Amino acid sequence: MFSKLTRTSARRTATAISQLRCRTFVQPSGADRASVVDVPSTYQEDNLFTPRSDMLGFKLEAPTRESSVDKQTRPIYLDLQATTPVDPRVLDAMLPFFSDQYGNPHSRTHAYGWEAETAVETGRKHIADLIGADPKDIIFTSGATESNNMAIKGVARFHKEKKRHVITTQTEHKCVLDSCRKIGEEGFDVTYLPVQENGVIRLEDLEAAIRPDTSLVSIMAVNNETGVIQPLKEIGAIVHKHRGVYFHTDAAQAVGKIPLDVNEMNIDLMSISGHKIYGPKGIGACYVRRRPRVRLEPILSGGGQERGLRSGTVPTALVVGMGEAARIARKEMARDHERIQGLSDRLINKINAEVEQVVRNGDPNGYAGCVNLSFSYVEGESLLMALKEIALSSGSACTSASLEPSYVLRALGAAEDMAHSSLRFGIGRFTTEAEIDFVVDRIVKTVHRLREMSPLWEMVQEGIDIKSIDWSQH
Amino acid sequence: MAAVAPTKQAITGLYNSMLKTSQSFSSYNFREYFLRRTKDTFKAIEAERDPAKLSTMYSQAVKDHVVLRRSAVVNQLYGGWKVAVEVEEKEAQQEVTKDRGDT
Repeated sequence: MFSKLTRTSARRTATAISQLRCRTFVQPSGADRASVVDVPSTYQEDNLFTPRSDMLGFKLEAPTRESSVDKQTRPIYLDLQATTPVDPRVLDAMLPFFSDQYGNPHSRTHAYGWEAETAVETGRKHIADLIGADPKDIIFTSGATESNNMAIKGVARFHKEKKRHVITTQTEHKCVLDSCRKIGEEGFDVTYLPVQENGVIRLEDLEAAIRPDTSLVSIMAVNNETGVIQPLKEIGAIVHKHRGVYFHTDAAQAVGKIPLDVNEMNIDLMSISGHKIYGPKGIGACYVRRRPRVRLEPILSGGGQERGLRSGTVPTALVVGMGEAARIARKEMARDHERIQGLSDRLINKINAEVEQVVRNGDPNGYAGCVNLSFSYVEGESLLMALKEIALSSGSACTSASLEPSYVLRALGAAEDMAHSSLRFGIGRFTTEAEIDFVVDRIVKTVHRLREMSPLWEMVQEGIDIKSIDWSQH
Repeated sequence: MAAVAPTKQAITGLYNSMLKTSQSFSSYNFREYFLRRTKDTFKAIEAERDPAKLSTMYSQAVKDHVVLRRSAVVNQLYGGWKVAVEVEEKEAQQEVTKDRGDT
């Protein structure tokens, strides 16, 4: 009995030793010891790159540099509201900070840190100059979405003891609306101002909406879908009359494209994005006025960088890129504006000359680089699918996956069918006349082809009023 | 010290050099933009009569040229896919091959 016991224990130690011998440094532990979670049901292992329903029939071909560059044709880029290409001069300014000048701008003890800090401060100055601010008022964030979140949630939460009301508009960008929904859940009252048919708010509505407990008015400068410019100066003057109400503007689409001055317009907070001004993605800025001081609760806690409002190491290369982009934008604004106006007129006139029943959504006096057209009796998505040589969008990039009509166009009072048939043309610094002509040619052909197939169009040609038809009977 | 106005020869030299650099961009949109930009800049320089202003404009153009040269090299490394317009133009022009300016 006893010997049997020793024998088994000896055998056990022997196996343990042999196991020990097999063990290498990176012996993986078994699945029973790890917390293994199933992949989500939407995950497809093998056919991950099959075309999905939201790809609008486009084939996914990840281009590799190794394959010949001659064979592939890239579509013409006319979606400048989604993002802009990085200006080669911006990239040139950034590259040193991706190679030798890799210091942390917050390191105060050595030259690497100093040079990075100098570069960051120069970038900050360029951005401040672009909007007429003081460099110390600029806070670097990861983008306009973060800036919007920071401004809206920050100001509302900081003043939550006394003030529980926030005003915004119905045509804001998703991130503003969602931030407002979030603080609405936290118990704040949010007023969503309606817009007129041209997309501009009524100043009387704003005046009437301001209450004694209003802490923030957030109204975007240039709309991302329609290019409508809100009267910031007038809005600023109204907000300024009420003490303790702050004016935030989401100027992601406006900075560098239209002249902005935070002092002249009485803007207290402003969101700026790097990749909408031919800068890099992943960087943005928030202007937060210091005199008189705008107080807000930071979202991130940490090392206290950026006046404690946005902790985290400032990405030197991205800041330098955004600064250079701002410098170029300031220098070239008049030139770019003139050119974009010309191209925009060319596009609109040519399309209007060859296609009937085209409606321009939004204020015609808006930003010229954003042309939102609705082609009646043609569905926007079908048009996009037929235009594979042109990179266009039917609205905001954030909502381009869904086939819902744009809420911005609905807020403008567009009928559902018109909101469905809209296309947004973005024109920018690098767009050429040849591209516009090419696009007009393709659009005209495709619209005519699609309309020929459409029974609705046939009925309209015969003079039947579509709206009078009762569709439910069959 | 009064600023010395650049000679006509220097301006022409710089203009040609900048045009060549602009032409060497691989990406259609950047190439077209910088060609346009260079032409506009030098039109302004040509029209300028004040020697002091001319001198600053010239030195700015020299600085821009340095940036442009580096940018063109980077663009040649990573750019180069043809845009739909270019393909159409090329078909219309019946195969015209262009040499890069850096070679």
